[in-house]
Amino acid sequence: MNAFVLTDRLKAAPLALSKPILSIEDLNVRFGSVVAIESVSLTVRRGEFVSLLGPSGCGKSTLLKAIARLVEPTSGRIARPQQDVRTSVMFQKPLLLPWRTTLDNVLLPVEIQRGGNTVDAVGRRNALRMLDLVRLTGFAEAYPHQLSGGMQQRVAVARALMCDPDVLLLDEPFGALDELTRDVLNEEMLRIWQSKETRLSTVLMVTHSIPEAVTMSDRVIVLSARPALVVEDVPVACGRPRAPEDADAGAIIRHIRAMVRSGQ
Amino acid sequence: MMSRAVAPLVFGVLLLVAWQVLVTLFQIPEYLLPAPTAIAATVDRALAVSFAVTFIEALGGFLIASALAFAIATLFVRFQTLEDGLFPIAIAIKTTPIVAIAPLLVIWLGTGWWSKIVAAILICFFPVLVNTVKGLKAADLEYRELFETLGASHAQEFRKLRVPYCLPYLFSALKISSSLAVIGAIVGEFVGATQGLGYLIIISSAHLETATLFSAIIAAAFAGIAMFYAISFAERRLIFWSSGEME
Repeated sequence: MNAFVLTDRLKAAPLALSKPILSIEDLNVRFGSVVAIESVSLTVRRGEFVSLLGPSGCGKSTLLKAIARLVEPTSGRIARPQQDVRTSVMFQKPLLLPWRTTLDNVLLPVEIQRGGNTVDAVGRRNALRMLDLVRLTGFAEAYPHQLSGGMQQRVAVARALMCDPDVLLLDEPFGALDELTRDVLNEEMLRIWQSKETRLSTVLMVTHSIPEAVTMSDRVIVLSARPALVVEDVPVACGRPRAPEDADAGAIIRHIRAMVRSGQ
Repeated sequence: MMSRAVAPLVFGVLLLVAWQVLVTLFQIPEYLLPAPTAIAATVDRALAVSFAVTFIEALGGFLIASALAFAIATLFVRFQTLEDGLFPIAIAIKTTPIVAIAPLLVIWLGTGWWSKIVAAILICFFPVLVNTVKGLKAADLEYRELFETLGASHAQEFRKLRVPYCLPYLFSALKISSSLAVIGAIVGEFVGATQGLGYLIIISSAHLETATLFSAIIAAAFAGIAMFYAISFAERRLIFWSSGEME
């Protein structure tokens, strides 16, 4: 009996118990006179899947870039409270190098870390394992132009995982794909996030799709249009797997939609 | 592929036959328009030597210019001040007609190989420089951000991203400059030379040896075409991905 109670508790509250892995305090980003991000504070805990939701051009990508250290904050702090936390970024486009095979594209991060042009056997084995993980076994020697858009994006996932990240930063990761492919890849993303194959524990995803944010995330952070301000931090306490058609997920989707509409 | 090659071949042969017939029928004097057979008769060892001389001058100038232009383009991309300062000078050199410079080259470098090679260098250099600078800067910001997030150094970004990205730009310039190189070499030979196709053209025109003149002109065209197709061939082998779009 006790065991049951314990597992139930663990299921209900593991995220609140886990430590912050990323903490953003009063972040401001300005480009000249344009305010892209205004006093954003948020905390992401280890193990969470968090979505940053906002209209196009609201500055949510800038926020992600600031976290990825591609954009210098004007003021405020982006802290990584835990030691040795690795982050990896995945962009909207697959950004594969067209002159490299799938395997060599996945190996790019290893090559850059090692310096030079060679990769050791461990790196190669790892890359092949990542290709298995994204279900591209057998495509190691294919070139990007021989792959479909969805497959190219899978290669990009494998490459992002090669850095063995704790945190994955996704910038509208599958936004350039058709809806069907996108749904499949979103499910794959969740599977990889939940699997024990990699170190990956935490995902921070930028999106402008409310159903996508709600079905994927533990928490949806709703941002206002430029400058980006946190409007509401919506917990999504629904079971997984979930669909936008589910009653509880649907209610949250409607709630967020109403909030976004009234804000405009 | 075969049928595509057959059509121009058939028309080419027809044209030659018509040419031959017209010249014979109307008894056109050879100094005005030699018949194809008369032109073919002038193809000899001397023509082959002239061809080889001009080809080597053009190729030498082309290779030196390409290497030089690539090196300078690399510096331009790395150091913006250098580009700002030297680009106007490069344009000035480019806009000066090679025909105007060639006599000076002969004074400075003599009537031997180097005046022709330098003429070829001057004419090849600019297109390669411009396109290489453009190509090295062409990689999208997103790609550069990817390399930044991976912690790539400047040198790594350059070698693994910018250079391969630049190749299609480089090769389209090489195709242009390869045929320009032949022009440079021949202009150099016009001004002062003792051998080469340009020399042969000047001499045979002065002597009204029109058949030889024709074969020299055709050889000059062939030199340019040979360079162009060699580059195209290398391009297709090397840049296999360009048919698929660069995302």
